[in-house]
Amino acid sequence: MHDDVKNQVKEMLNQDVVDLFLAYRMMDGHPLPFAFSRENIEEVEDLVTGPARYPLEKLALEILKIHPEATLGILARECDQRALNVLSTWNQLEAGRVKTIRLSCCPSNLKEHSDCSYLEPHVSGSCKTELGFEFGAKTEDLEALAPERRFSRWMYEFEKCIKCYGCRNICPVCFCRECSLEHPDLIGTGPLPPEVPLFHLVRAVHMAGRCIDCGLCEDACPAEIPLRLLYGKVNEIVKEVFGYETGTSPGQSPFQVLGTEMMPEPL
Amino acid sequence: MNCRIVPSICSYCGTGCGVLFLVVDGRLMGTLPMKTHPVNEGKLCIKGWNLHEYVNSFIRLKSPLLKKDGRFRKCTWEEAIGFTADRLRSIVREHGPDSVGVLVSAKMSNEENYLAQKFARVVIGTNNVDHCARL
Repeated sequence: MHDDVKNQVKEMLNQDVVDLFLAYRMMDGHPLPFAFSRENIEEVEDLVTGPARYPLEKLALEILKIHPEATLGILARECDQRALNVLSTWNQLEAGRVKTIRLSCCPSNLKEHSDCSYLEPHVSGSCKTELGFEFGAKTEDLEALAPERRFSRWMYEFEKCIKCYGCRNICPVCFCRECSLEHPDLIGTGPLPPEVPLFHLVRAVHMAGRCIDCGLCEDACPAEIPLRLLYGKVNEIVKEVFGYETGTSPGQSPFQVLGTEMMPEPL
Repeated sequence: MNCRIVPSICSYCGTGCGVLFLVVDGRLMGTLPMKTHPVNEGKLCIKGWNLHEYVNSFIRLKSPLLKKDGRFRKCTWEEAIGFTADRLRSIVREHGPDSVGVLVSAKMSNEENYLAQKFARVVIGTNNVDHCARL
């Protein structure tokens, strides 16, 4: 399967379909994101598809800010593809600027491995199990709890926050120039600990119709707050009430708080 | 168009979190945590997330400064090192080697810290050496 991908990448680079191709490469024993180029085409031989995940589309946006005329290729897992859909829906990506080689990443008995670090087992400690939510908890598990119990468990999780902004920084679909979590009249930077649950709920509201459920925020959280669970619930409501499925439904979400004129601004 | 993703170590404290820098045309554009790094396992604190900002900061010192007549002025490294060496030498001569202490930093490499303690013990002649990561 890797050879297939490598050949496709080489072809795209050699035929000038893309200027750079973003995928992964083993470097010093680590699978790291890497920009493959025509000039160093032999490096494509070292291309790997996993297991680590990085927001490749976010790197692509950064590169396109400096080289808006460039065409980039991306190795796209299903979550990358959903992110790209959301970014173009919100006018952050010009059509045709990013070409993808799609990669099936879902686990199956027929495959040797699945290309997703999120699927690696993650053991919850006794304190987290007792007071918060276990890794991999589902919304159904939460809803079985009494509301007070659920609230106290969420508060336990939120109170661990060190306000690193990692969830926002790694998020492939967080692209606003001005962020409510930094705005001095709204949440504001600086004071610690952050105001809970306000900090997390503000972000949760902004994830409605935007979150593509990639789980990178939860992976990046030093306090291991179950963010994917929180945003998952928010998007369940968006789906139930508005029939909008983020990342797959065409058009912008019902929450057009940003207006329709949003365009990426140069640095 | 030159685009590289460069693995590095966060320079803020002694923990040594693995980071990745996005470098486009020689300019540092962003920082990401290294997911497979054994120290931070894909997580960073707010300082680590903003490493690229201090590298590119316009108030970053790019040359040594020497205070003359109550004002800092730009000078050459030769001047700065010469002035510091002269002052250290005269302090040691006047008040003895134990009037000097050497504080080293977690932002430096192991080898640089080794050299700093060697400098304190052999050149100055004091055991007053300490390190901010001696927690």
